Amino acid sequence: MHPILARSGRLALYLGFWIVVGVLLASLLVTQVRFDWRQATLVALPLALAYAFVCLSAWYVSRSMPLAVTGAARIVLTAVTASVISSSVWLLAARIWIQILARRGWLTDPSRGTGGLDTLILGFGFLLYELSLAVSYLLAAFEASREAERRALRGQVLAREAELRLLRAQIDPHFLFNSLHSISALTGSDPAAARRMCLLLADFLRESLVLGAQDRIRLDRELGLIDRFLAVERVRFGERLGGQVQAEDGVQACLVPPLILQPLVENAVTHGVAHVLEGGTITVRASRTPSRLTIVVENPADPDRPRGIGTGMGLANVRARLAASYGTEARVDASEQAGLWRVELSLPATTESS
Amino acid sequence: MTASESLRVVIVDDEPLARAIVREFLGKHADVEVIAECGNGFEAVKTVTELSPDLLFLDVQMPKLSGFEVLELVGREVPVVFTTAFDQYALRAFEVHAVDYLLKPFSEERFAEALSRARERVQAKAQGTPEPLDIAALASDARPKPALLERVLIRDGAQVHVIPVDRIDYVEAQDDYVCFKAEGKQYLKDQTLAAVETSLDSNRFVRIHRSYLLNIDRLARVELYAKDSRVAILQDGRRLPVSRAGYARLSKLL
Repeated sequence: MHPILARSGRLALYLGFWIVVGVLLASLLVTQVRFDWRQATLVALPLALAYAFVCLSAWYVSRSMPLAVTGAARIVLTAVTASVISSSVWLLAARIWIQILARRGWLTDPSRGTGGLDTLILGFGFLLYELSLAVSYLLAAFEASREAERRALRGQVLAREAELRLLRAQIDPHFLFNSLHSISALTGSDPAAARRMCLLLADFLRESLVLGAQDRIRLDRELGLIDRFLAVERVRFGERLGGQVQAEDGVQACLVPPLILQPLVENAVTHGVAHVLEGGTITVRASRTPSRLTIVVENPADPDRPRGIGTGMGLANVRARLAASYGTEARVDASEQAGLWRVELSLPATTESS
Repeated sequence: MTASESLRVVIVDDEPLARAIVREFLGKHADVEVIAECGNGFEAVKTVTELSPDLLFLDVQMPKLSGFEVLELVGREVPVVFTTAFDQYALRAFEVHAVDYLLKPFSEERFAEALSRARERVQAKAQGTPEPLDIAALASDARPKPALLERVLIRDGAQVHVIPVDRIDYVEAQDDYVCFKAEGKQYLKDQTLAAVETSLDSNRFVRIHRSYLLNIDRLARVELYAKDSRVAILQDGRRLPVSRAGYARLSKLL
């Protein structure tokens, strides 16, 4: 849709501008071609309004040649051609209009100064069309920047929503309920241990809030959070739960989205070790090449475990977040083999300095 | 139950601390005796079968067998108090006539309330008073269609077999039992074939015959055997009869 025709207010403003052009043309007719004011107005105003609609076509001409992708020569050539054609059409319309007026007897002596009139109409028409083209480009640029702004805003809103959803999803409330139940149990038998558990839990919660508010964090902080999480879970599961975090030299400073491993380790506990009678050890290994960072989370899993509530949610969440942050640069592979569940993340290795 | 008789209790939870708090709370009631503690569903089935306790404190999410599966395997006569951090199992708990449903973490008062309810239930059972079933009936009315089984549980004495449904080849009716064939083994269960049929995914298990329920992933082809009588050939070469109605159901699915 043409931006001027899209709203009646804009169209009124546009035609208002063309009335001014009509008056200007009339005054030129008076001074250059020696019409009297009444006759000049009668000729110029309808012509100007008719040309207003011809000049609307400049928008489509400008759209067919976006500035960014079209060569200057082509733009100039097309603009000149379009202007010549439009002003010629206008000239033809002017002649017919003058003929009609003359035949009705509203114009005295129509042959007066026709040569001057032709030049005036052609020149004026050419300039007006060029002006319309220029305005069209301005308008297009304006619309594009508005659109970009809207898109950026929408992107921000989406990101914000995702973040909120994430914060809700990050900490499973049942993890909290079970931890509180452990504290409640310890209060009777071992108050000192209950206090330690409170502190561990507070430590984990605070760190996850601090990290969650950031865009990217160093991997060693994420691994630290995993340690805290496992420490809390170990109070619940006791001997059954083991944890091992191995980080190669040089991976600590790599940047990752915050809490990208936490849901995987949480899964490793609730869907993995918790379903194995004798328990097991969760292993988190991080390694890198100059350009890629690889993180593997492994845990024993019962192949016959029930796959009920919430299965796959955490993994899907991690996948979606990595895709949002790195596009096709990141990969998530999940596999299960011989009672071992394994998730491998591969993403570009970036550090704060790079 | 007289004063000299104590309430014999088994605690089932995979977390040592969760068992400890139940034990601690029970310790204040002189008429209660904790006769066993179990850390997983298998142990629980074995213990309950051998000791037949008066009351069971049962966690829902445990390794190998969930609390509900334990209850299914030991029969539903034993009064149960569920203990879990998840609230979404409450309705199901009423359906299996649980005495109470304790949400972790729970207070000592709330725990005592559950215990006194359990005492009433045990007494009523001893006097042969039928327990009120209205709530359970209401609950099962309110609940949508029961979820399809993911695995079949079979108790063989104190031993428990867990068969994921995708490993079942077919199910055969045998007198009062059904026989599950899976991975070259067979398991008998005290159930009707019709009940098995409704609890399995109907897009996958087809009643090909009055006595046979087939996992269609195992089907190789169907052959005409005689006029109006067909036979299903499984991937392992086994042949099962297909009735006319069974063939119609099979064709609809394929």
